[in-house]
Amino acid sequence: MKVNSRDIDSELIKKAKKGNHGAFNILMNKYYPRVYASIFSFIKSKEDSEDLSQQTFIKVWQQLDTFRGDSAFFTWVYRIAINLAKNYVTSSGFKKQKINTSIQEAEIDISSFNDIESAVIHNESLEEISYFIDSLPESLKTAFVLRESEGKSYEEIATITETPIGTVRSRIFRARESIVDFIEKEITNNG
Amino acid sequence: MDNIKEKISAMYDGELNSSEIDELIEIVNNNKDMQKQLSLYSLINVAVNQGSSKLKQKIVNKDSFKKFLSNVWLSNGLTAAATVLLTLTFINYSNFSRLNENIDSTNQISSAINSKEAQLIAQRSEEYITDHVMKVLNDPNYMNSSSRIDLRNVGFNHNKSNDFSYTKGKEKFQLRIENKDFGLKKVRYWKHGNKMIYLIPIENGKVVTLYGNISLTSAVEIAKSLDR
Repeated sequence: MKVNSRDIDSELIKKAKKGNHGAFNILMNKYYPRVYASIFSFIKSKEDSEDLSQQTFIKVWQQLDTFRGDSAFFTWVYRIAINLAKNYVTSSGFKKQKINTSIQEAEIDISSFNDIESAVIHNESLEEISYFIDSLPESLKTAFVLRESEGKSYEEIATITETPIGTVRSRIFRARESIVDFIEKEITNNG
Repeated sequence: MDNIKEKISAMYDGELNSSEIDELIEIVNNNKDMQKQLSLYSLINVAVNQGSSKLKQKIVNKDSFKKFLSNVWLSNGLTAAATVLLTLTFINYSNFSRLNENIDSTNQISSAINSKEAQLIAQRSEEYITDHVMKVLNDPNYMNSSSRIDLRNVGFNHNKSNDFSYTKGKEKFQLRIENKDFGLKKVRYWKHGNKMIYLIPIENGKVVTLYGNISLTSAVEIAKSLDR
């Protein structure tokens, strides 16, 4: 049975609530960059954004049982992140607050994220990525933009582009792979 | 390996068969490269969103406003991927007197916004707006305003179906009026999927929210009609 993005998150959350760290790690890998970018846009400090992003996911892990699914998972995570950032900003003299709970205690692995964000979010690479996307072959770009920007389902994209769903899935994947290659070769190495 | 990565890509899009999830959890968690892959897909989403917003900032000024309007669907098109990372776009709309600016007031505003207090207030306003926009997007009943507004003077008819929408030709939207202004002095708008969200300040410290398939010009015209 095919499920939508929110349903997949629900499946992962259900498993994570039962103690499946793997499911939680997937959620974290999926949303960490967005949380990081949200916090960074708020407090404009790389190091503090890293700390607060980690703290966000520790809180998310600790409070996962309270998530009822009334909103999208990311909306809930975002609120936690922004509340942490707000508390941080309004704390006396912007003093750096160290994370109370260690990452080891939370049993989640956050170490692999920060290098990528450093390379991409903190330099002028974002525009380069936009330009690179624009230079993708038309068939890949169309499928990718319809999915990533317009939020179309694979089925809708297949109808619009008159191609089989399997081809749509493959094109979106190939577009992403091209962009990942671009980030790794052109941006991370030059960052 | 590419087959697994393609499945990760499909999972990221919510297009995976539920029977494949367990298998993928196992694979991803035993493979750092796959974890990084998933994270990079999310990062691409951020880059698509934020990269284009920088481009937009260069575009937004009064002289290029018409050109900007003609390109707005294209430029916003790249920003809509993340539901909550909505790229904020500020505009001045020269035909709407409330949104005009003059040098004196601009200077006053410039000095005012540099104060720490003002920045804190702005941050709080931003949170209220974010919460409001998230409700518009995530709560199907939020925009089902019980009070019907007569918009026939601007050519829109109230839809009698359950979605409390207004229509004119291909334009269809829902409307809600807040009795608070969120600190808004200008029109702000976002693109989400193929729909637009407009927050437009009107008289008496109120803000009208319009959500749906509707152009900026129509949205402002409707807001002006509410001001009369």
